Amino acid sequence: MGKKELKVALFLAWRSLRRGSRSSAILTIVIIGMCFTNMIFLPSLFAGIGQTIKTQIVDYEVGNVLVSPQSGDQYVTDLDATLDLINGMPGVERATPHYSKGATLKYRQRILGSSIRAIRPIDEKSVSPLYTKMIAGSYLGEGDTGEIIIGKTIAGDSSIREEDEFYPSLGGVRVGDSITVEYGNGYTKDYRVKGIFSTGWTSTDNAAFITWSDMELVEGESLDKAEYITVKTKPGYTEKSVKDVLMSYGVSPKVQTTDDLLSKAIGSVLQSFDIINMVSLIVSIIITTVVLFIVITIKTINSRKQIGILRAIGVHKEVIMHNYGFQVIILAVFGITLGIVIASLLALYLSIYPIVTPEWSAYMHLTPIDLVWNSLILFAAAVFAGYVPAYQVSREEIQSAMRV
Amino acid sequence: MIRTTNLRKIYRMGNVEVKALDGVDLTIGKGEFVGIMGPSGSGKSTLLHLLGLLDLQTTGDIWLDSIDVDRLTDYEKTMFRLYKLGYVFQDYALVPELTVAENVCLPAMLRSDRKEEEYRADTVKILKQIGLSDRSSHLPRELSGGEQQRVAIARAIVNKPDILFADEPCANLDTENSSVVLDLFDEINHELKQTIIMVSHEDWHSKYFHRIIRLRDGKIVEDSG
Repeated sequence: MGKKELKVALFLAWRSLRRGSRSSAILTIVIIGMCFTNMIFLPSLFAGIGQTIKTQIVDYEVGNVLVSPQSGDQYVTDLDATLDLINGMPGVERATPHYSKGATLKYRQRILGSSIRAIRPIDEKSVSPLYTKMIAGSYLGEGDTGEIIIGKTIAGDSSIREEDEFYPSLGGVRVGDSITVEYGNGYTKDYRVKGIFSTGWTSTDNAAFITWSDMELVEGESLDKAEYITVKTKPGYTEKSVKDVLMSYGVSPKVQTTDDLLSKAIGSVLQSFDIINMVSLIVSIIITTVVLFIVITIKTINSRKQIGILRAIGVHKEVIMHNYGFQVIILAVFGITLGIVIASLLALYLSIYPIVTPEWSAYMHLTPIDLVWNSLILFAAAVFAGYVPAYQVSREEIQSAMRV
Repeated sequence: MIRTTNLRKIYRMGNVEVKALDGVDLTIGKGEFVGIMGPSGSGKSTLLHLLGLLDLQTTGDIWLDSIDVDRLTDYEKTMFRLYKLGYVFQDYALVPELTVAENVCLPAMLRSDRKEEEYRADTVKILKQIGLSDRSSHLPRELSGGEQQRVAIARAIVNKPDILFADEPCANLDTENSSVVLDLFDEINHELKQTIIMVSHEDWHSKYFHRIIRLRDGKIVEDSG
């Protein structure tokens, strides 16, 4: 096959598409476009959910990097020196300690078990956007004592009966109310509710926060230890690079990035997403391949006589095969382009109006690599689906093709 | 130019064998305008298809331009058809998505020895010759049957083939259009010294032929040459 033959095959293909059945061509392009959208939609939606979960875990649980006590120890000790060391490391935006204690919360007739987390509000602001999620009252100040902020779930709703609640609550606490907290060590204190927050992340919305100095009163000692330290990385630094720096400086033998933790915590969930994505991808490819195979087969069957005549006047069978192959390639290019446009518009729409559930809000996490990769897969499937019938029909005897 | 010896073509339909051609020996010289005539089922079209390398004989030999065509590969046969032969079919057989001009120059586009300017100029010239220069940008469906057949003839001669095969080219045309087509063949034969082999079952076409080969039951029963 020389350049001239390929040029003629392309010429025949283009003319056939331009002057042939327009509705058939448009229908095929739309089908390819929809198959592409189907291939992209579910995986990118799952990726969006995964991304949302990861963001919430980073924002409200572990930061970008989590420094935990070494095995066998309950706390990261020598806290102030450790924090100074971490905050001085390249790539570290801010590090903040966490210390929690089990307690029983009492409000009027309601009793609720929860975890009270101690934070250093100013540092915490640099690491977690919790302070932006206040739906009533205000966030903790650095020197606050006797004040507590609680999650929306703990606060509850006075209009909902206790037996109808999905998560147990204090039954409608409002800012300014006083709640009694009985700690596991027997220490009991009344706190004024300074604020109520709603993050959308269940475990955080089921927690309550007090200042570090208040927790020191609970423990009856100066707290130079933390259960864990969450670290926020600076833009441009990877979590892995910061983790490596922290480990190289011997901050703690147990330093983990979010990805390290996610692979353990929700690895099986992400794996399930991957399996569903793979099944969805395979189904889409099969549908596209079969549809294109049928379209081109019908087209070649309807053109058998013409194919016979083309061969009779000296058009080589490979030119005929490439003619149909090029038609599929052109249809696939238009179909994939349409699919990219539809998927991008969907992604844009869902970024503005995400699918909101009680646990997370989902948008489409679509990257250029996803688009390129899926385009290549669909293109390969289309070429295969088009060339097989084209190859078969181009090999038919001239007489039997012309006799149709 | 064309020679066949003991040419046979047998079609098998299940257990039944049909002898379409039964031992045809003939020789056709350059520049002859030959009419192959005979009743329906006599083997006229089968002979034309075998001579035109569109089908394979069961036994016997075909020599075109002193070449034993049995020895040619599929690709070589395609190239032989492209460079040496031209065809006009009963039902015009134009590519519906190509304009008149594109249909005419299609075989020339594939030839490595022909430049684009050259075959475009030839196309314009041929269309003028057949009286369709004002229809060059029309699609086949916009032409009458007679006009479509003239386009098919133009396509067949654009490469200046050595032999032109025509399989009942007037079968779908009225007498007036048939005359136009036959006059065109006559003109081509005289001016270009083109060998033309045409299948027909209309007796009045005989006056155009230099030589008539009559077939019956797959055998030559009369050869006026």
